[in-house]
Amino acid sequence: MKVPMRWLRELVATDLSADQLAERLTLAGLEVENIERIGAHWDNIFVGVVERVEPHPNADRLVLATVNAGIHRLTVVTGAPNIATGQKVALALAGAKLYDGHSAEPKLVTLKPATIRGIRSEGMVCSEKELGLSDEHEGILVLDADAPIGLPLRDYLGDEVLDLAITPNRVDAFSIVGIAREVAALTGAPLRLPDLASLEGPGDPSLVTVEATDLCARFVAVALEGIQVGPSPWWLRRRLQLAGFRSINNVVDVTNYVMVEWGQPQHAFDRNRLRGGRLVVRRAHPGEELETLDHVRRSLSSEMLVIADTERAVGIAGVMGGLESEITEETRAVLLETANFDMRSIRRTARTLRLRTEASARFERGLDPNLGWVAACRAVYLLTQLIPTCRVVAVFDHYPSPRRPRRIDLDRNELPRLLGVDFPDSDVEAVFHRLGFTTQIRQQGGRTIWTVEVPTYRSDVTIAADLVEEVARIIGYDTLPETLPVGRTVPVEIDPELRLIRQLQNGLVAAGLHEVITYPMVDDAALRALSTHGDVVPERLGWYRRPVEDFVRARNPIRPEWSIMRPSLVPTLLQNAAEQLKFNDVVAIFETGKVYVPRGRDELPDERRAVGCLLAGMDAPRDLYHQPRPVDFFDLKGVVETVLARLGARDLTFRPLTHPTLQPGRTAEILLRDRSIGILGEVLVTVAERFGIPWHHRVVVAEFDLPTLLEIGLEPVTIRPLSRYQPIEQDFAVVVDEGVPAADVAAAIEAGAGPLAVVVRLFDVYRGPAIPEGKKSLAFRVVLSAPDRAVSDEELQRIRDRIEQQVRRRVKGALRR
Amino acid sequence: MEIERIRALRERALRELAEASTQEQLATWHARYLGRRGEITLLLRGLGSLAPEERPMIGRAANDLKEELQQAYVRQETAVRERELAARIAAETIDVTLPGRTPRIGTLHPVTQMIRDVTNIFAHLGFQVVEGPEVEYGYYAFDALNIPPEHPARDVWDTIFIESEHEEIVLRPHTSPMQIRVMERRQPPIRVVVPGRCYRYEAVDATHEWHFHQIEGLAVDERITMADLKGTLAEFARQLFGRERRVRFRCDFFPFVEPGVDFAIDCMFCRGEGCRVCGDSGWIEILGAGMVHPQVLRNVGYDPERYTGWAFGMGVERLVMLTYGVPDIRYFYQGDLRFLQQFDRIVP
Ligand SMILES: [Zn+2]
Repeated sequence: MKVPMRWLRELVATDLSADQLAERLTLAGLEVENIERIGAHWDNIFVGVVERVEPHPNADRLVLATVNAGIHRLTVVTGAPNIATGQKVALALAGAKLYDGHSAEPKLVTLKPATIRGIRSEGMVCSEKELGLSDEHEGILVLDADAPIGLPLRDYLGDEVLDLAITPNRVDAFSIVGIAREVAALTGAPLRLPDLASLEGPGDPSLVTVEATDLCARFVAVALEGIQVGPSPWWLRRRLQLAGFRSINNVVDVTNYVMVEWGQPQHAFDRNRLRGGRLVVRRAHPGEELETLDHVRRSLSSEMLVIADTERAVGIAGVMGGLESEITEETRAVLLETANFDMRSIRRTARTLRLRTEASARFERGLDPNLGWVAACRAVYLLTQLIPTCRVVAVFDHYPSPRRPRRIDLDRNELPRLLGVDFPDSDVEAVFHRLGFTTQIRQQGGRTIWTVEVPTYRSDVTIAADLVEEVARIIGYDTLPETLPVGRTVPVEIDPELRLIRQLQNGLVAAGLHEVITYPMVDDAALRALSTHGDVVPERLGWYRRPVEDFVRARNPIRPEWSIMRPSLVPTLLQNAAEQLKFNDVVAIFETGKVYVPRGRDELPDERRAVGCLLAGMDAPRDLYHQPRPVDFFDLKGVVETVLARLGARDLTFRPLTHPTLQPGRTAEILLRDRSIGILGEVLVTVAERFGIPWHHRVVVAEFDLPTLLEIGLEPVTIRPLSRYQPIEQDFAVVVDEGVPAADVAAAIEAGAGPLAVVVRLFDVYRGPAIPEGKKSLAFRVVLSAPDRAVSDEELQRIRDRIEQQVRRRVKGALRR
Repeated sequence: MEIERIRALRERALRELAEASTQEQLATWHARYLGRRGEITLLLRGLGSLAPEERPMIGRAANDLKEELQQAYVRQETAVRERELAARIAAETIDVTLPGRTPRIGTLHPVTQMIRDVTNIFAHLGFQVVEGPEVEYGYYAFDALNIPPEHPARDVWDTIFIESEHEEIVLRPHTSPMQIRVMERRQPPIRVVVPGRCYRYEAVDATHEWHFHQIEGLAVDERITMADLKGTLAEFARQLFGRERRVRFRCDFFPFVEPGVDFAIDCMFCRGEGCRVCGDSGWIEILGAGMVHPQVLRNVGYDPERYTGWAFGMGVERLVMLTYGVPDIRYFYQGDLRFLQQFDRIVP
């Protein structure tokens, strides 16, 4: 909403500068986003009158104009085609800063005296473009005839325009009058509302028929004759221009002017082009069409409210008028509509037609129906001022249930109860009065109740809390003290899942992984890409299973590739890795996001916290000390084991797994106490390639489900007492068949070693001439320690025997000597 | 005769000692002369076989020799060790400007870091951290928050809708639905902060994202006031942005609060003078807030005559951008490690 200061000051006489007013309005809830300063650079430019125009002796297209601007009187050379004797013009003297009229980009240049075709020109008459008013450079700017000669142009034409962002609740502030009221309330400056014509209603019932009474609370129509359509005077055009409107003609300009001034949209119909010369307010007929003012033919539906004549729609109510009945130079009779339409209906219509207009924007916020009459009176006043022959021939007012001011009871104690600070009664009362509210005070059951009557234009003030806000914002939020809440304290508990996430994040960061956050949405193509052959959405998506129902799907996705709430972190991690690999050799990332498991239509999905980890490329950057190698399964397995152990998941087991996304033989299901909590594996190169990861990169992913982890339960740390005795380190090499998993051999050794084994660590895997074909030798180091004694030779021998036994029994292995 | 032998022994021992230039040679020398089977040891042990009259003189000479060699040994050893140390120092000088062996440590996403910083502050002020669903019923996202269907206020939240049959289901456009969920589940006193992802149907540019994070705050009890809101937010802002921050409360509109507040701090880049970051206003808007609307309290079955409360909501990415001078919001979710790795602080 653009508010020119000169216009505003006409309605409220405040001494405050534009900057000061902007500050006050902003703090009070009407945010001034910008102040446009028009004419700030207009030094050495004056209002002048053209006294004489003579031909240029040396050029056909140039003339010599003698311009009188009071103390300055000079002859300038100009090529303006529209210059004429007696015109008031803007005369720029040497030193004035003007925009270059021939430059496409705004470029300020300083005016210097020049000799043009042999004639010296000391100044210049300016176009709108040169003054920075518009892009108009066809001719010079011609000022109103009453412009005072010799006045600096800045004092005559300069202005400051406040650009306000109006919150949706304040429809009243969507007007110059509304802002003026606000300024009056904030500063105490007197308000002077614009002059109105006086109209007699309800008048002629034959002028309008309101059929759709449910969608039209009020309809004021004024029939005018003696209309002469022409351009508006300069002041009116100028004000509309500053407010952001284009001037059309005097009749249309008046309706726009009233809309800017009062916030009430109006529409003027050429009455002679209305069949039957009258209007009907009704819903559109099925299949009805209308060509609107913007020259677009629009199909209407029966939910839309239209203004019609006796035969056809001539306007879309509250949105835009029809082209056929628009005001033209031939218009002699006007039917002026000032109505109040249902806000929801207008909003729906504007949305359906994708036609947001200045009018619909105001109607959508719910206008005060009492404004209808005032706005009609104002428009008639202006039209009769501009067109002396114009006269009112009929008036119509449909307003079956007039809106009355609202009365709100305010418990006086509500102010300190909500604000935490109180103000003197006199201050509170002054605020209400300045806002145009009236007050009555009564005692009731030991409480002081203020009954506040609120004018109908403040439709946003409906409850006591609204009155409290009015008091606080007018007195100023800056007067509120800063305190901390008193009262009962609440024990702060930590959500176990949130704590686990924090721990995981800390652990994975310590393990060298970087946290990423990805858009949690994918599309069917990304899910299909996870399958071995890329053709169907696979049954297993990361750790999760493909749901029986459809995925959680957006009805209006931003982009097609973000249409499904992801069922696994794996696809978004792969997308992310593909991007990362363009810039980095080393990709080590994780995300602790949600996956969305559908629970049926109309049900919210199960939002499960998941953790996904991904390693790709090299293990570490090449540097002075490190020769990089490609990452593999065991890099990520080590991270997973270490971090999960520190969360209390200590005895993980890894079982070979067949998975549609992952490479057979290099993939495992991760189990904790025999329940699956996650998967870990190397991504099939064909899958990775579909995500844009080049064939030569190895990609390892893991995914875990946190609710499952918490369900199984995590173990606290248990501390083993320290032994004072020297531990014994013994190595055992076990020869087993190639296919025997190392974990089974380790389990056999642990079983044999018993409680004295504090460490069982695999340190070598050997295949070669020293052992038979099809076998491998696994070398373990076992550290034995007893808390209360040195381990004796006999004990050691017994342990060796038991290990030998266990290895033979469990994995059909033999100890190598 | 014996004296001659001792003298010869002494000369040989001292000469060899002088030639021992490494710790290893010293050890050999020590074993030969002063060790358990060393010559001096044997000499002293052999005193018993001497004639009684020779014993005192030879014994004294042998003991003197032992004493002398021991002292000489210590001197020589000290000299050798010093020389070896000097040689080692000379040989092992490095270029200390060569890079260290860097442990590989990851980074937390800047949004996670900011959520931790903010929730840590509020946790110390007695607020519990909770989270809630991102896929949400329209009732919680709008209606219960006093934003009726077809209301122009609803336009502020351009919403992504989820396929459904009868219920309106949306991707929450703000974290405010959790106000309702928390109040439905519990009775006052309530003090919670709710971080989480939000979504809007919005074109992405340098300052707008369709996917972003908010942190919601809610306090409800008897005697909770707007002055408390101001004090709490001021304390928060000063802990996050520095004790010298000035704060500004200005009137604003959100359908679920009344009175409504826009909370700003003085611009830390220009100290309130006006610059590009603050749009020449000198103030930076941090969050929206206000007293919980009585209709919202009634919607969850609270008596608005008994309880009051306040709520606030802030955009996490914006806080990060302000704190670290991030120029473009799109950096956050492109997942570019070159961006993420710059946030290499250790987060409390
Ligand atoms: Zn600044």
